[in-house]
Amino acid sequence: MSSRDTILQRLHRELSEGPYVARPPAPEVWPRENPAPAAMAERFQNELTAVHGEVIRCATIEDAQARLAQLAAEAGWTSLGVMDRPTVRNAAARLPEDAVRPANDDWEPRTIAGFSASVVEAEALLADTGSCMIACPTPQDRLLCYLPPACVVIARLSQLAEHLPAAWSNISARVADPDVRGEFVLVTGPSRTADIEKILILGVHGPKRLVVILIG
Amino acid sequence: MSTHPVHLGGAKFIKPWTKGLGEPDSPKSLGATAERSAKHNRSVTDAVPYFQDWRESAHQVKTFAVANLDKLLVEFEQKITARGATVLWAKDAAEANQHVLDIARRHHVKSVVKSKSMVSEEMELNHVLESEGIRAVETDLGEYIVQLTGQRPVHIVTPAIHMSAADVGHLFHEKLDEPFTEEHTKLTDIARRHLREEYLKADMGISGCNFALADTGTMVVIENEGNAGLSTATPPVHVALIGIEKMLPSVDYLPLMLNLLPRSGTGQKLTSYTHLIHGATPGRKLYVILLDNGRSNVLKDPAAWSALHCLRCGACLNNCPVYRRAGGWAYGWVYPGPIGSILTPHLLGLKTAGKLPFASSLCGMCAEVCPAKIDIPHQLIHLRDRAANEPSSMNSLFQRTIWTVWAWFMAGPLRYRLAAFGMQLGMPLIKLVPRSLHPSMLGAWTRGRELPKATGPAFRTWWRRNHDRYESKTKN
Repeated sequence: MSSRDTILQRLHRELSEGPYVARPPAPEVWPRENPAPAAMAERFQNELTAVHGEVIRCATIEDAQARLAQLAAEAGWTSLGVMDRPTVRNAAARLPEDAVRPANDDWEPRTIAGFSASVVEAEALLADTGSCMIACPTPQDRLLCYLPPACVVIARLSQLAEHLPAAWSNISARVADPDVRGEFVLVTGPSRTADIEKILILGVHGPKRLVVILIG
Repeated sequence: MSTHPVHLGGAKFIKPWTKGLGEPDSPKSLGATAERSAKHNRSVTDAVPYFQDWRESAHQVKTFAVANLDKLLVEFEQKITARGATVLWAKDAAEANQHVLDIARRHHVKSVVKSKSMVSEEMELNHVLESEGIRAVETDLGEYIVQLTGQRPVHIVTPAIHMSAADVGHLFHEKLDEPFTEEHTKLTDIARRHLREEYLKADMGISGCNFALADTGTMVVIENEGNAGLSTATPPVHVALIGIEKMLPSVDYLPLMLNLLPRSGTGQKLTSYTHLIHGATPGRKLYVILLDNGRSNVLKDPAAWSALHCLRCGACLNNCPVYRRAGGWAYGWVYPGPIGSILTPHLLGLKTAGKLPFASSLCGMCAEVCPAKIDIPHQLIHLRDRAANEPSSMNSLFQRTIWTVWAWFMAGPLRYRLAAFGMQLGMPLIKLVPRSLHPSMLGAWTRGRELPKATGPAFRTWWRRNHDRYESKTKN
């Protein structure tokens, strides 16, 4: 008998003797207060700043283009790996042409590790934790979130939800879609560790810097 | 059942690897750091008005999950297979190790990066890989540090909290040939530099899994450093090690768990990275190993099912006065602290680990802070009862003889007086015996302690002399 069958039979035998347990309802977790977008944006900014992330508020996409170019110039970023999404490509329009590296399925990890920064797109934002959900269907998209020393997230005000439970109906439907691959990652600030004496240090393996450009 | 060495026999429980017991200063930063974490996390959870409701909900969800484990595992297998993963099953650590080695051979793997996985500690996977000539590098900073020292993690969330920055500085100097520093930023940068190259050249990445969602075939991995993201996304092959108790019935319960676990584990609202991995990423291979390794033993004892509710947050460790003093190694195996005192006897059997449930003051702090609301003190009492009545190290011929003799002396007034008289004679005499001649178990106890001096006469003698005064008062 295979190990699979042995384990499942053993479980079945013991569990069938056990008590019946009703399926509990999924709890609400946090109540819905439906705050105004401006209030959510402020909360998002405060929460992300508290975990050492940065937020740049922009009224329009043109404004975002300018701020991203300015950010790259100030930080001295000479190569930016850019996710292949319309919003991200658009936001990167005013970056120096020779600095932009449009995402490519042939990229080796070492190539991505060599970039000064990455530019990725948020699919959802959580105000109460300052988190961005980023959908990464390919290995290159995943690595853009972790390998370069800085990560810029392009996000829109309309993507804000007050908290994870409020955003969940949209996210969970996509998680359940069998055709969706790769990963969804909830990013809440830059990479961090407190493994030595519980002292917080930023940027242990992943990006040392996380900047969210929030449009709207 | 694991065949790996487990250091839990007899007086060994309070010998070399339990430095803390006789030497309160020993794990310098461990006690203080655990206490600080406990306080911080408590302030974070106390700030949530719904936290107690969440714990109750989590308890119900995990109860349902455990009661339906067989169905959930099959559902998870189907869903994640449909998303391109290969699912393998392992009855024990040896079989899981064999699966990993087979995969490694198939893909010509020479080096492996690992993100934190307690299951891989159960398997002692690093040793197995090294013995087959495959380089295995831990990438979680704390795990990396303890791997370099050759030690076991002292804590399931912060594996190296027993070491000071200076200790780490000396270690990096010795093992990595880096100039000594005790600056946290520099130490972290050294680790970043060394490990970055490991990710890029690794042929395989190994991770654990915090939650496996049965209805979608999703693996959820929670972390702060980015090492789990890198270990699972960089190499061409990803192997996920999942204890069979990690199943969650539905994606709908995830917001609850993601609000609970980071707060209880590290006092964060959310960790820096929460990965929802949807099967194999295109262009990458994914193998999922579902490991039993004694977990189904728990189900034979319906009163103990809640042991499988554990989310591995480490809150019970941080809050435990015994853990803070004794440290993680004192518990002899992979899982320390109060939860280890429950899990280890179940996973390895009472014969091996029957002593562990007795190493607790039953103060109850662990039950108060557990996010899955596991009633740890009652689980400990339950296991004590079993250990005393089933074949175990607490039910040896020696133990039974001692207690039979004790019971006989306690069962009649004359016998009791005889025993008390014997004690009065024996106590001063025992002090004359050199410590080196004390029998092994007694020796472990008396090595660092003086026998207390008995004060005044025995109660019975005192009562014989004074009872008149008290009895006359009562009559009035």
